Order: sequence, then structure tokens, then C-alpha cells
Amino acid sequence: MSSILITKSRVLDPSQQLDLQADVAVSQGLIQQIAPDINPHGFDQIIDASGCLLTPGLIDPHVHLREPGQEHKETIETGTHAAIQGGFTTVCCMPNTAPALDSPLLIQGLIARANQTAHCRVFPVAAGTINRQGSHPAPIHALADAGAVGISDDGDAIFDSSVMASVLKACADVDLCFMQHCQDPTLTRNASMHAGEIATRLGLIGWPREAEEIIIQRDLTLNRSVGCRYHIQHVSSAGSIDLIGTAREQGQPVTAEVSPHHLNLTHEACAAPDGRSFNTNAKMNPPLRQQADIDALRHAVADGIITVLATDHAPHALHEKQQPFASAPFGIIGLETALPLYAQALIATGLIDWPKLIELLTINPARLCNLDRLGLGSMALNSPADLTIIDPNLTWTCTEDQLAGKSTNTPFIGETLTGRAVTTIVQGQIVHTMLPIHQSGQPSL
Amino acid sequence: MKKNTSHDTIQDAGGRLLGLDGVDGGRIRGLLESAKVMAETGGMGGAGEAGEELAGKTVGMLFFENSTRTRMSFGLAVQMLGARVLEMEAQGSSLAKGESLVDTALTIESMGVDGLVVRCAEAGGAWMIAQHTKCAVVNAGDGRHEHPTQGLIDLYAFAHAHGRADSWDLSGLTLGIVGDVVNSRVARSAIAGFTTLGARVVCIGPVAMVPEAIRCLGCEVERDLDGVIGGMGGGMGGGLDGVMMLRVQFERHGGDGLRNDGAGRLDYRTRYAMTVERAARLGDGAVVMHPGPMNAGLEIDLEVARGEAGGGRSLIREQVAAGVAVRMAVLEEVISGKNV
Ligand SMILES: [Zn+2]
Repeated sequence: MSSILITKSRVLDPSQQLDLQADVAVSQGLIQQIAPDINPHGFDQIIDASGCLLTPGLIDPHVHLREPGQEHKETIETGTHAAIQGGFTTVCCMPNTAPALDSPLLIQGLIARANQTAHCRVFPVAAGTINRQGSHPAPIHALADAGAVGISDDGDAIFDSSVMASVLKACADVDLCFMQHCQDPTLTRNASMHAGEIATRLGLIGWPREAEEIIIQRDLTLNRSVGCRYHIQHVSSAGSIDLIGTAREQGQPVTAEVSPHHLNLTHEACAAPDGRSFNTNAKMNPPLRQQADIDALRHAVADGIITVLATDHAPHALHEKQQPFASAPFGIIGLETALPLYAQALIATGLIDWPKLIELLTINPARLCNLDRLGLGSMALNSPADLTIIDPNLTWTCTEDQLAGKSTNTPFIGETLTGRAVTTIVQGQIVHTMLPIHQSGQPSL
Repeated sequence: MKKNTSHDTIQDAGGRLLGLDGVDGGRIRGLLESAKVMAETGGMGGAGEAGEELAGKTVGMLFFENSTRTRMSFGLAVQMLGARVLEMEAQGSSLAKGESLVDTALTIESMGVDGLVVRCAEAGGAWMIAQHTKCAVVNAGDGRHEHPTQGLIDLYAFAHAHGRADSWDLSGLTLGIVGDVVNSRVARSAIAGFTTLGARVVCIGPVAMVPEAIRCLGCEVERDLDGVIGGMGGGMGGGLDGVMMLRVQFERHGGDGLRNDGAGRLDYRTRYAMTVERAARLGDGAVVMHPGPMNAGLEIDLEVARGEAGGGRSLIREQVAAGVAVRMAVLEEVISGKNV
């Protein structure tokens, strides 16, 4: 295993409140030293990261890798290829596969498959109910033992309150977070975009904010006596922020994540560019909402109400998105464009700084999924050398050719973005780099 | 091979009529004027005879949703222009076998058609096909979105009834659209077309059918039909120069909409039906329209629809009669580029 020296970067590790100009030495797959002016002699590979940020490898707690059963959209191999291009060294994959990840055997199978094919670390989130049907709790203790790092029926909320209570209790037993996809299905029948003027103009059935807020409200009430670590996935509505903020003030163990698209786009994207189109690459669940929601979500990040960022990377094949709007599936890909979009929404607006952004992309999601116990999300000495080098000023245009995943369903094609992961290192291996690597030619120790 | 996903602005481009929203007044007036010529002369072939406007052309009829009236009307219009009709049966078609809307359209286009007439149960179906084909495309109704030729027919009949069929200027006239606006493609096309030609449009119905958000289309919103008929502008008939009664589409309402049961139907009829009694309070000049098919006895009484009772003059027969001429004008425009 080669040794790597990364020089002259700004080292940011929010887990240790580190923010300094320094070199970082890696060997045996572990972080060996963080110090100014480390002697480069003896390192196999040297990367000059001047002008760049060096951070713990980014962690995305919400992606869809589509294995098993939907390999025409994405595979663990292609999805994690996209992940490392976007600077992610760890992804947590959702269980809405075919079949759903609702048994220990399937969780073990997914982990084995990832060990064979993945470009980065993959941790499965297991289903909360059998076949994600919402009627019978899954064997959550056994799923935890098999390697699940969270529990979720993502794609659907657990709607039955008694089933929900039972799942929350089991998650509390095994100290796994429960991740809720907050959607009241009775308020979203046949709905395909935010309930508002654009849906009215296009003749599409609207998806109200209340569908999200009602589930959050119910769950916060249910969880009051349970105390499970309750996590709200892809929050979209300003009203949800008020609910989460109040619950956090009361000391409830609630966290929330927000996606790059909900931080940057409104429902107008569904009709872009002329206000009369049907852009299925802007169709997602929950739907893109309005500017007031974007403002509330962004401020919730700045105020510490939202503590996790997640792409909800959701690949779909061309033939699936190339359908009338209501028939096209929900979701867009996000791993490769996430970092600049977060920066655009949160840093360029002056709401937070880079150390804060990195916290939301490293140690916070690590804690959510208990990955901090494996040393992930941190650059503490001797922790796994999962690292991301970010050029915060690199401007680039997103084109389909450079997307590594199988699908290209994103409304950000053609957008000029600022900021990019220029090197990704997983367990001391450089898996993606746009920077020159100086090979010393000398054997490592 | 990855395909470019960027969308062109095509709504108002020549060769397509996908909706009336966003179409400028000049184009609408041109189509109506052309329809008037077709109706008065029967086109190049003369009354009842096929002409040669589109001789040698072929028009594909892609009806992914059942429709008798619209399909027959378009079919006749194609024949009157001297073009060939290529019919696709939705039942047993490649679509039913899993082929996508776009691929079916591309297949038909490859057979050499010059235009496609598309009816689809989903909003944006015709738009989606227009994104991927080069031939002319006419939207013959897409879900709850638009039905632009029906909108033109309504404009044509209304303008004739009010003596505006030369200027096609509807300034000073008010149209009330009553009932299930949110689920109506006809209403969306009418709101766009009538407001573009200068009319005032008031949508009247319960919240579940006429949401506040509908104002973004340029119309006003009222809840009280009797108040509007009796009150606006003072005196009998109020300020309404016409009412368009929409078909109540219970099947399109979600759980929070109006229910198709005794209570739901009674509620609707009590406040919003064009009954003989309500029609009697319409002003003398007011016309009654219905795009069909009707739920007679629900949103409109049969006597009113047939013009046998009530105050307003029923235009429903005129609407149907104008259909072929309007569709001839549209097809000629999108395929040959002619707009007077
Ligand atoms: Zn979800």
C-alpha cells in the first residue's frame, strides 16, 4: 500500500475543529500526520494541493444505487464511480430496490456485492417494514447485526401509526437512526409536482406541503416517548423547518437532511425554460417548491436546524424520464454536482463558511449512521485515510459526457458550476484525481 | 448514446399547436379568420367537397385516449383538405405492448407523415412528442392541460354570436367558466384564448374545482354563480355575455376533491348547475356553451343545452359545427405554414 503526501492545502476537519495550512501524510491506508512542511522524502505519491481544501472524505447518507433489480438505471459500480468523481468516499444506499432490502441475507448480499464492485465505501440502509409495504415491521435487530447503518422505507413513509411506533422502538433498541420519507400518501394521489401555480398552469395534480408536514408532526409526537434518533429525509417545506426547529429546541433527538436541488431550484424548473414545458428532469419526490421554501431551508442550515446534506441521487433511464410528466418516475442524480450546488446555495450566499459546509458533509452524516465509530468523517490520527481535495474556485460546465453514472437525469446539464472535488482518496488509495501526482519512485517503508 | 436533454421553446413555433397559453393574438385571429373562410366556402373544394389545400399530404392520428367526437372532427377536416388520414388504434397498438409514446410517434413519423394529431390522457403528451419529432404536431387534448382546437372553436362560436367575427376582438365581453376548471383542458385553452383576444374571464366554482391558483392564467375567481348572474353589472344577467359549463370530472378528483356520490352531486347541482331556472336569469344576449360530452342533469339541464328553455342562447350545436372548419384551418397552418 503506497504512501501519499498531500502538500500546501487548507486542512479542514470539523470533527477536530481543524482549519490550518498544512501537509497531510497517509500510509498503510491511515492518516499518519498533519503538520506544516512534512519532509516529502520517502513518499510514493505527492500531490500539490495549493489553493485547495483538504477534508475528510465526503459522506452521502442518501443515494439510490439500484442494486439489486434495477441495474438498467444504475449499479453499485457505476453509482460509486459517480460518487468518487463528486468527492464522496462513503455512500449509504437506500433499500427501495427489487427486492427491497428487508432481510439480513439481502443486507449481507449487498455488502458482499459492494466489496466486489464499489469504488468507495457503501453502507446499506435497511427497510423498516417487510417489502416496504408499511404493514409489518422488518427484523430490525437482525438487520442491524447484518450491517445496516440506518432504517428507512424511503420512497414511502410508514403511514400506519402503530407500525411506525413499533419501528421507532426497535430502532431505539439497536441505536440505529430511523430515516423517514415524509409523505402522506392520501394527500399525494396522482400528484407529480408542487401544488401551486405551475402545476395549475400545466394541468398537473399538485403535491401540497402539508403531505410532508403532517408526517413530521405525527412522528415527532410518536417519538416523544420512544426517543429514537429520528431523521427527516430530503426536507422540502418551510413549514417543516418550524416543526423541526421547535422539536430540537425541546431536546428531541431529531435531525434533518436537505438535497442540493431543494436548496437551489423552485417548481418553476418543472416548466423551464419557457414556463410551458414539461421538464421531467425536474420531477422529484418531494417536489421542488417555492423561493420562500428555499430561503427557509438555507437559513435552517445556517441556524443549525438542518445538520446533514444528502443528494438523494436517484438515477432513472432515458426511456423512463422520456414520458409524459405524470408517468415519468421521480428523482434526479446528484453525486457529481452536489458539492458546487451546496456551495452555491450556502457559501456564495454568505450563510455559512467552508468548515461548516464540510461538517455537514462529513462528521454529521457519519454520526447519523454510526460511521464515526469506524473513524469515518474525521482525519483524526490513525483513522482511515478517506480524503477529499476540493478546489473551491474551479469553474466547470456540467455535461453528460463527464457523468460517470449510468443515467443522466439531471436538470443541471449545461450549468456552469463553481467548486469541484479534484481528488478523492479511499482508504489511502487515490481513486479519482484531476491533479498531477508526483511519483517519487522510491519504495515506501 | 446519450441524448441532449435541453429543451427548445416550441410552444409558439410554426408547425405546432400544443396549447393556446402563450400563443399571440395575431396567430389566433389568423386561425379564426381562416376557419371563417373554410366555414363559408367549404375551402378549395367548395361546400361539402374535398379541396386540395393539403393534397399529397398525410396526417397521422395518434389517439392514445378514446375520443369519438374530436377524432371524427379531425378526420373529416383532414379529408376536406385533400390529405390522407393514417389512423392508429390505441387498443392493440405498440403502445399497449409497452412502446413509449415518443417511440410510437417516431415510428409513425418515419412512415412519412406530414403532421400528427395527438390525443393523450396525460398532460404534456403532445409536447413530449413535439420535442422529438420534426413534423407538424397538433394537440387534440392532453390530460387536464390544454385542448387548443376546442378553445379556438369556443372563441369562434362566441365571437360569431356577439358579432365580433370580423375584428375577432372580444374587448368588453365577459365569459363565465363554471364548474370543474381545475380538471379541464378545455378551460385552460379557453382562458388563454379569450383573455388574449381581450375578453374578461371569470371562473366560478367551489374551491376543489376552482382553486385560487387558477388566477395565474389571467382569469378572475368567484364562488357564487347566482351572485355573478344576478349582481355583476347590475340587472338581469349581470355582466356575463356567455357561460361555459364544464363537464364535472369526478374521476379526476383526488380524495380531497368533490365526491361522486349523492351528497357530492347534490352539492354541485345546488350551487353550480345551469338549470332551467338559472338560465332564465341570464341576460338576453348571453350564450350558453358546453364543450361536451355533457352530464345532462348534473352541470346542465338538457332543455338549456338544447336551447328549448331558459334565457341564454345555447351555442352547443354551433360549437360542434365550427369544429371541422377550425381544425381545417389549424391543420393547414401547421402543415403548410399558411396563416392569413
Ligand atoms: Zn425519499
